[in-house]
Amino acid sequence: MSYVEIPLWRLSIAALLVVVAIVLSRAKQLDLEKDLGLGAIRAAVQLLAIGYALHLLIATAHPVAVLAVLAVMWIVAAWTSTRRLKTGPGTRVLFPYAFAAIGLGAFVALVPVFLLVIPPRPWFEARYVIPIGGMMLSSAMNVVAQVFERLFASARTEEATLEQYLALGASPQQALAPYIKAALRSALIPTINGLVTVGLVALPGMMTGQILAGTAPEQAVRYQVVIMYQLVAVAAVAGVAAASFARRLLFTADAQLRSHKE
Amino acid sequence: MASPLLVARDVTVLRDGKRVVDGASVALERGAMLTIQGGSGSGKSTLLRAMATLIPITSGEIVFEGREVHAVGIGEYRRRVAYVPQSPRMFDGTVADNLRAGPRFRGESLTDAGVVALVERVGLGAELATRIANELSGGERLRVALARALANEPRVLLVDEPTSALDPASSIVILDLLLELGRSGTAVLTVTHSEEHAARLGGERRHMTAGVLAASGTS
Repeated sequence: MSYVEIPLWRLSIAALLVVVAIVLSRAKQLDLEKDLGLGAIRAAVQLLAIGYALHLLIATAHPVAVLAVLAVMWIVAAWTSTRRLKTGPGTRVLFPYAFAAIGLGAFVALVPVFLLVIPPRPWFEARYVIPIGGMMLSSAMNVVAQVFERLFASARTEEATLEQYLALGASPQQALAPYIKAALRSALIPTINGLVTVGLVALPGMMTGQILAGTAPEQAVRYQVVIMYQLVAVAAVAGVAAASFARRLLFTADAQLRSHKE
Repeated sequence: MASPLLVARDVTVLRDGKRVVDGASVALERGAMLTIQGGSGSGKSTLLRAMATLIPITSGEIVFEGREVHAVGIGEYRRRVAYVPQSPRMFDGTVADNLRAGPRFRGESLTDAGVVALVERVGLGAELATRIANELSGGERLRVALARALANEPRVLLVDEPTSALDPASSIVILDLLLELGRSGTAVLTVTHSEEHAARLGGERRHMTAGVLAASGTS
């Protein structure tokens, strides 16, 4: 199967697209130039690395190597999801909770699928386990980051209201319920938007790639449908878990808000 | 003598190594009217919040109807010992929604007649029940906050600077309402910096300075 090759000089033309975003960031004083520049370089380097790693993993076909790559992805996802929060207890405290929430979401989405829907042979076959696992971890990462961000920010801006709920006898669950609902809804919207527009607006990369690589379109589509459904589960489970962890971090055992101003 | 309704014994609250409340003791009988006066930073609001169990106490104990707070249960205690903060926040929705919050938290629902009774009890017109709570004036909000607390049928009312943001006329209405609640058997502990308002409330008056609450009968 033939495809259009991308020589390095053409790749560098694509990099100009990032420059467009950087120029706009500077003009609008978004202060994101460094993040955009570093992000663009990191994306290229990381993709290059995982490209070779995948190649190597497929060649060596060792379960420990595959699991090690997944573990690194999991740790990076957990770390990233706690990093940019403006309020809350900080990365060191949040990391284990993010790790657990992401792991739970990914577990629910991945294990039944690899057991029953797309059983790789052997079970650790890298070209299935790594890309699909990566998609789930990445989706869980975004949902967990959003839920943490919204809940810790709400707890700060709505501290007085939350405390009055508590003063009226509300449990922490009851006091936080409206905020958890709002946070989960907004965290799940991108996934739902993805579900309803897939094929109309976005053509998923994996499906396109499989078709490019010669897979029968019908099979490629089935893979994509499975992944879309997995993404829904991962977002819901990771989001609910993150919200429940956030609640535990926000209140003491005596149903008092943890951060207090006089 | 009957045992007091609410007792705070040797309550100390440490914050950043500082004794914000230093060994304060308070006892409230049924229908008691106690006013704690003090300047800003004297620790009086912190003591009130500690008695409302909204902040942890470093040492001491709080006993309601002869039982320690945890034996009563935090949720149940907070229903029985209501706390109304300075400039209370209104919840989203109507005044009726606000009044229904407390009963909803314990799995009950307040009837329309119950809403009207509460609204009228705090001296507001029944038509106010359908108004959006956040659109009310400061005085009206405070009355809604009191009615919201009363929806839980508390035995004790802890009120923090109820008149600080109100004009003189609204202040009188609120103070008279607290007096009326006291007469109906609710113990009322009010924190204020205003000599005049404390005088109007009558009852026992105690002063707080640098975290230390003066003993009873010394004002």
